[in-house]
Amino acid sequence: MLLIVTYSRGARQTLRNVCSTHEGTVVRRFGRAALLAETEFGALLALRLREKHGGDVQVERTEPFNEFAAVPSAVRDAATAYENRDARSTSYAKFAAGTVHPDPADLRDSDL
Amino acid sequence: MRVDRDGVERRGPAVDLRETDVDPAAAARAVREGTWVTCPDPGPVHERVSPVGPATTLSVRAALADAARTRGAAAPEDEALAGVRAELAALDPPAVDCAEARRRVAEAGDREAALAERVSELRGRLKALEETGNGTEADDARSEREEAVERLAEVRTERIAAEQALSQARERAREARDARSRRLRLEDRAKNLRRDARDRLAASVRDAFAAAVDAVPGRGEVDEDGRFAGDPVTAALAVVRVADLDAPVVLACDRFESPAAATAHLDAPVIRV
Repeated sequence: MLLIVTYSRGARQTLRNVCSTHEGTVVRRFGRAALLAETEFGALLALRLREKHGGDVQVERTEPFNEFAAVPSAVRDAATAYENRDARSTSYAKFAAGTVHPDPADLRDSDL
Repeated sequence: MRVDRDGVERRGPAVDLRETDVDPAAAARAVREGTWVTCPDPGPVHERVSPVGPATTLSVRAALADAARTRGAAAPEDEALAGVRAELAALDPPAVDCAEARRRVAEAGDREAALAERVSELRGRLKALEETGNGTEADDARSEREEAVERLAEVRTERIAAEQALSQARERAREARDARSRRLRLEDRAKNLRRDARDRLAASVRDAFAAAVDAVPGRGEVDEDGRFAGDPVTAALAVVRVADLDAPVVLACDRFESPAAATAHLDAPVIRV
């Protein structure tokens, strides 16, 4: 999908107008951002916004997230185990220390 | 006030220009620009109400807030608003433009893909020629392929450099966008403060406005929350009566016996057109 984020009042207003005019292309609307369908029409809308508002419009392309394809099982298991922990107040760092679960610092340094 | 028009000089707080062919907007402009009307500078209330006439449309709440300020009223939001405005004036978010970097990455990528395809084509051809034992042609194909491989390595280096440049540009863009986000938040805050101040100031003269609506000629009612129902000329006249104005208001309506009566009733200098 195409993620559009606006950074000025004018750009935000234009995005709102675009979203209400082209509901079929809008996948999701947020306050000053929106996800557009990844079609050439979605791209046209995104580029029109950027043409009009320049640096006040950010356009990014998103990818579907498949944790089974992109994420090591150690990370998935750690997430499951942590959310099912006994002591709610334990931080993840503390939770992982001395276990098989990955250290948060290592996770931060590892790109997906 | 002094009005110099058609070779005639008129003075006083109530000037009658009905016999001239001045149109209301031109008279309001003359007050604003001081061309042929000499008077104190008009303020925001004039911007909102003058000229008062058939074309009048009015945002009553905003006009009342401006009227309240002419009476010396201030809003508690003023200070915060001044602070936000000063912050906004000081903000100068850097430009965000990665388009050139993106273009270079895309072009280098295209060139690389085309060359890679060419290299594999040449590899196939070379293999075929070697198998058929065509020595000269195979030598040519070999050197062509070597050239292409070399060129591919260069283009790959270019593409990697372009990607690095883009990633740096994106990093800078992120910082610039932080500043833009901040500006947007400040602008929203300024708008909210302005609206709160306006509502509060308008509310502070609600009673005076209701009394003025009763006092001026015309239809109109003010409810408890200060909402006005009636014709806009009545509202505009009432706003003028509430406000403390030094510069003349242009009147293009038949609500008073004379310009002097209007001035007395509205407690403001008027130019009747």
